[in-house]
Amino acid sequence: MLTTNRVAAVTLGALAVVVLFESRKLPLGSLHNPGPAYMPVLLALALLVFAILVGAYGGASRGLGAVGWSEWRHAAAILGTCAFAAIALERLGYRLTMAIALGFLIGVIERQGVFVTLTLAVALAAGSYLLFDTLLRVPLPRGPFGL
Amino acid sequence: MTETVHNLLLGFSVALSPPVLLYAFVGCVVGTIVGVLPGVGPLAGISLLLPATFGLDATKAIVMLAGIYYGAMYGGSTTSILMRIPGEAASVMTCIDGYAMARKGRAGAALAIAAVGSYVAGTVSVVALMFLAPPLASFALRFGPPEYFALLILGLLVLAYMSSGSMVKALAMATLGLLLGMIGIDQMTGYFRFAYGVVELGDGIGVVPVAVGLFGLSEILATAGQETPPAVIKPTLRELLPSRQEWKDANWPIWRGTVLGFLIGIIPGSAHIISSFVSYAVERRLARRPEEFGQGAVAGVAGPESANNSATSGAFVPMLALGVPSGPIPAVMLAAMMVHGVSPGPLLIKQQPELFWGFIASMYVGNVVLLILNLPLVGVFVNLLRVPYPLLYPGILVFCILGVYAVNSSVVDVWIMLVMGLVGYLLRKLEFEPAPIVLGVILAPMIEMALRQSLAMSDGHYAIFLTRPIATTLLAVGVVLVSLSFRSLVTRGLDWRTRMAMAEKGEEL
Amino acid sequence: MRRARVLVGVVALAVVAGIAGAQESYPTRPITLVAPFPPGGVADLTARPVAASLEKILKTPVGVVNKTGAAGAVGMQYVATSRPDGYTLLLALSSISIIPEADKIFGRPPAFTIEQFAPIALVSADPTVLVVRAESPWKTAREFIEDAQKRPGQISYSSSGVYGTLHMAMALLEHAANVKLRHVPYAGAGPALTAILGGHVDALASGPAVVLPHLKAGKLRALAGWGEARVASLPDVPTFKELGYPDAEFYIWAGVFAGKGTPEPILTRLRDAMRQVVADPDFKGAMDKLETPIVFKQGEEFQRFFDADARRLAAGVRRVGRIETK
Repeated sequence: MLTTNRVAAVTLGALAVVVLFESRKLPLGSLHNPGPAYMPVLLALALLVFAILVGAYGGASRGLGAVGWSEWRHAAAILGTCAFAAIALERLGYRLTMAIALGFLIGVIERQGVFVTLTLAVALAAGSYLLFDTLLRVPLPRGPFGL
Repeated sequence: MTETVHNLLLGFSVALSPPVLLYAFVGCVVGTIVGVLPGVGPLAGISLLLPATFGLDATKAIVMLAGIYYGAMYGGSTTSILMRIPGEAASVMTCIDGYAMARKGRAGAALAIAAVGSYVAGTVSVVALMFLAPPLASFALRFGPPEYFALLILGLLVLAYMSSGSMVKALAMATLGLLLGMIGIDQMTGYFRFAYGVVELGDGIGVVPVAVGLFGLSEILATAGQETPPAVIKPTLRELLPSRQEWKDANWPIWRGTVLGFLIGIIPGSAHIISSFVSYAVERRLARRPEEFGQGAVAGVAGPESANNSATSGAFVPMLALGVPSGPIPAVMLAAMMVHGVSPGPLLIKQQPELFWGFIASMYVGNVVLLILNLPLVGVFVNLLRVPYPLLYPGILVFCILGVYAVNSSVVDVWIMLVMGLVGYLLRKLEFEPAPIVLGVILAPMIEMALRQSLAMSDGHYAIFLTRPIATTLLAVGVVLVSLSFRSLVTRGLDWRTRMAMAEKGEEL
Repeated sequence: MRRARVLVGVVALAVVAGIAGAQESYPTRPITLVAPFPPGGVADLTARPVAASLEKILKTPVGVVNKTGAAGAVGMQYVATSRPDGYTLLLALSSISIIPEADKIFGRPPAFTIEQFAPIALVSADPTVLVVRAESPWKTAREFIEDAQKRPGQISYSSSGVYGTLHMAMALLEHAANVKLRHVPYAGAGPALTAILGGHVDALASGPAVVLPHLKAGKLRALAGWGEARVASLPDVPTFKELGYPDAEFYIWAGVFAGKGTPEPILTRLRDAMRQVVADPDFKGAMDKLETPIVFKQGEEFQRFFDADARRLAAGVRRVGRIETK
């Protein structure tokens, strides 16, 4: 049965193995002169041990299905918007990217009215830009059209 | 003594003169904004505004920059409490109990306690700075790599007291965090570790994107799509202030946090970030009802917030007394002084009494200003919570992205925040706590570097840890703490934490 | 259809005009001067007066952007890969020559190469100085070197990081004087200075400006300098050249670069502008406050200096090789 503990244990264990694998390329050094691979290897081994312990003794855990996943689509949409922002931020400039991202979130995901969406999107994007780039001189990326 | 009083009067005459007062005020306001903004912490704030100070004279510039620094510490608690988004790395612990208090409707109380605790800590630590700066600074300089290593090992032990769930899970999270901290250039040999050609990862994945992603973004991911959006809390004015019991509960933690934070702050290096973590662990250990922690314990807010603020004054001790760049923030302040023609050094206090005493006096003034600024703002901020969540969270998201990006003008940081947000979301579902990861990311590079530096200093001999008194003492304290825990495990049967974890089964974290 | 053709024609005209216009009246947009180090460091503090003066001379906003990371590699790579249109400039320190070499010996594709840059001008060239604590037994550089020769690997020194400027300076000295010292890397020049002040290491190669207050206060002692000439603010400190070690020459220099491929007219304009920058009294005043003397080199002179320095450093890095972990 897929319990949360077992899933976590397997994931962490897999991660530990990947780290051990990737550390092959780095020199290990010795106890008196530890190399760049020393601590990562130690930590990966420790993580492996803890992963096994979590799987076996993690205490109470629920079945994977019992955990509420109802909001995953929403969460995926939000993550997607963030990814879009990350990609577009330095290409489209701050204000344009944020306005689009906000418009998408408020208008499409949250299904607020057109007026509310437009006002909030533009106000937040422009306002935050004003506060930080103009007033506080934090350089924010500008895109085409000087936006 | 009289000389100090005389100097202090000189300092106040400088600090209360309208121009200097104005810049202190501006610094405090900017610091609060910087602190409230997720991700952008005091270092980023000071660095970004350093150029703006070039036209000013030295005293005004230093006073403004310092105002930004401790102002950010005041402001950092605001977003932590209201939205579980750390304003900066040091506010991560406040997210845990502060947000829990907010969910219970005690947001105003939490904010007020944080403000007052910060004020007490800030003021008391400035007094300590005033009287104890030179002797403390010499002591602090004796902290070299071996002492640092011993201190950080103690910091690791703190992890054991940080989470309320199963010990094994907490340790697994800590190890994960430590591993994440290994990404980047190995400072001792120049190898790139786990960076896969992304040059921006050379300095590691950075605690700011990790903290904002793990706490803030994951909170948004988990809450935004809920069928029943979180109840909008509409507190009355009476409910905004802490109750008598809450004030009583906050009292000792504030004092303990102040002392602890100051001591940790004077140590050169970036250790002052861990002051809030250590304070949280200490409060939890000393609490009469430790099971409250994680559910809205007042001490869990009062202690870390006070430790934060007094660590900032502590960080100034070696900088002012000896002209030593004892950390990234003091280094920027020293650079600011150099740019204005003030040469920082051991003779700073003697040669530039107006600067030093004006600075000290302006810190008193700044703390008062911030208290006056923050308390009424409590009402304003709590009203922010009235905005319906579906409209609120996109705004929060924008500020998270903005804050994380602004620290380094780096989109890679935004990606890290994204990934950590997803990780944090999954961890919540799988019932793991994210706090130890943040501490691990902070500690890992420091511990590794301290160990290897110590071995480089001693040419490979581990005996160096035993031949240096401070290091030996710290390690001994660590051994004692560990053996005490083991003993209680053995004698009292099941650890109270595991008992609690079993009792908490099925309850949302 | 006809409207479309007109539109295309108009657009084409605009583009051509834009390009021609941009070249003729550079600069038409704000310029970014990238400082690849964190604020408060040498690169940053030098970049800001340069930017301020350039702004006055070129009559366009010149903003300093700190793109930090990987000992400067992030910022340098950013400029190397940006469009060479003269609107993204770099204020680089001598580490620009070190990083590609270090990448090579680790066998990884270099983040950038020095050929990707077109040098504009050098603005400062501070030689490093060797400092020890005032309580240490070495009063002259000769005593220090003799002691190091007698006890190889026993005298420790701190640095800002492996293959960093402060490490390379010491590495060059080790080779020139045939001594072996014990290297304890720290994460930056600030912690390296803190380490020697706290007595955790014996020596440090440092830029003169940051240690000057401590020298004056008697906490540190300067033994010798890595420059061709004595440091202006330390007239009593001999150079390693005078002492018979001419190979120990190292400068923490700062220079302005543009991307290779930037059109010649723009490069010429920038070089003219830099000539005016170093004559600007505001700039001179700012550098004075930083106790950093202005050393201005341009064109052929700068290229020669840069090449010689790059060769020296590349050889030094190759000699250091990969840090052995036995």
